Amino acid sequence: MLEMFEYDFMQRAFAAGIIIAILASVSGTFVVLRRYSMISETLAHSALVGVAVGLVAGFNPLWMAVVFAVISAWLIEYLRSAFTLYSDAVLAILLSGSLAIAVIIVSLGGAFNNSLFSYLFGSILSVSSEDVVTIAIFGSISLGALLLFSKEFYFIAYDEEVAKTSGIKVNLLNFLLVSVVAVIIALSIRVVGSLLIGALMIIPTIAALQFRVGFLKTVIISLVFALLSVAAGMTLSFYFSLPSGATIVLCVLFIFILSLISNRR
Amino acid sequence: MKFRVPIFDIKNLSFVVKGQTILSNISLEIFRSEYIAIIGPNGGGKTTLIRMLLGLEKPTSGEVKIYGKKLSNFKEWHKIGYVPQRASHVDASFPATVLDIVKMGRTSQRSMFGAFSELDNQLVNDAMLKMDIVDLKDKMIGTLSGGQRQRAMIARALASKPEILILDEPNTGVDAVSQKKFYALLRELNKKEGITIVFITHDIGVIADDIARLFTINQKAVICNNPKQTLSCEEMSELYGIDAHLLHVHKHEH
Repeated sequence: MLEMFEYDFMQRAFAAGIIIAILASVSGTFVVLRRYSMISETLAHSALVGVAVGLVAGFNPLWMAVVFAVISAWLIEYLRSAFTLYSDAVLAILLSGSLAIAVIIVSLGGAFNNSLFSYLFGSILSVSSEDVVTIAIFGSISLGALLLFSKEFYFIAYDEEVAKTSGIKVNLLNFLLVSVVAVIIALSIRVVGSLLIGALMIIPTIAALQFRVGFLKTVIISLVFALLSVAAGMTLSFYFSLPSGATIVLCVLFIFILSLISNRR
Repeated sequence: MKFRVPIFDIKNLSFVVKGQTILSNISLEIFRSEYIAIIGPNGGGKTTLIRMLLGLEKPTSGEVKIYGKKLSNFKEWHKIGYVPQRASHVDASFPATVLDIVKMGRTSQRSMFGAFSELDNQLVNDAMLKMDIVDLKDKMIGTLSGGQRQRAMIARALASKPEILILDEPNTGVDAVSQKKFYALLRELNKKEGITIVFITHDIGVIADDIARLFTINQKAVICNNPKQTLSCEEMSELYGIDAHLLHVHKHEH
């Protein structure tokens, strides 16, 4: 089984995958508890616009994905807080709008090829050394921000108004959370793909919630599930020549079903 | 006579939404260690008033001062403990133990980069002891009864060592025995610890002996400085907008 690590691209993919599993599951816990689950899908599509711009204009697609996802996250948070629009409607508008813009950009630029396909569904073959370094640097900063304010994010998720009346800067922290989630999603689409990253972010937490344990244990269970799914998904992807993102998501779905059955009441 | 500075100083407060007046020209003061009850019909603006005191709603006109400061300049929010109406209704699947919930009360005061300090943990423990929920600390909040959840939420508010406790009908859906204990606890917090209590309730008869003043809110405020004095039929009719008649009930001891 270890023979797959003889290949440099698998070493890079595993390094990136493990970092992404940690980031997606920890941020996913706050996203789910905050009832922001749909935001991951929307931000992933916004990141795709960045990828399209990067591919067409010749910039680093991963960096451009980060920039566009963060701008989209701020726009979502601003629209929700300033106009009290239906939040799910805001997400739906930005999701389809982003996808349409991304498709038009790549069509006009003639970049509708395998490169874009790998960003849609994830590809372990395409993870470069530069990508691993970018994922590690931005990932560490994102994880640091999540851990630093984890208690505040947790309180806000439980009761935003009481958190606000206790002196917590709720609006600022909401912006910080969506920004961090945007960065994590943009970093993840190389390995998992923009159409599937939402699943890696949300499903491990939903599976962990089935165990009905406290917050810290829920985060740890979610983290273990994400790591298992990424490791198993990449291994299966290598041996059976399957798209990595889809295989990882099927693994996490399998774990979710097991959690559901084992915790049935 | 000693000059008293009000904790809350509310002047000419009005709140209008889409042309509908929710509160009109309310002026009142709340002083240290007072026990204030707020009553009034549903939709009369009680919760809106509380939300404006806490900065959750901006008044259309008028001003709220806390400890002599404008709301926008007030920073010591840990001095105020808030228990909202929905306190006893929680998302059963939320991953929180009672300890997780009570610790939330210390979140805004912990050091920025640190975990909870020994003092934080001590205050959390003290709040749980006061609410008699130490045995429940590892229980999931979703598995508790309404009364137990209510105590956990009040413990969270007490963990910040508040000088003021604002409660918005937190006893909705709580059984009678737990309610009785709850009222006794509020009395103790007010009398022994001097905590100012602002309490929206419908059970005015039960706490009439404990409270210092009664505010009746139905768009306008009527302040009753002697709550033991029965409200007249006319006052009740004006307050609730319906015909009110006094019924005399003879109590029989068994």
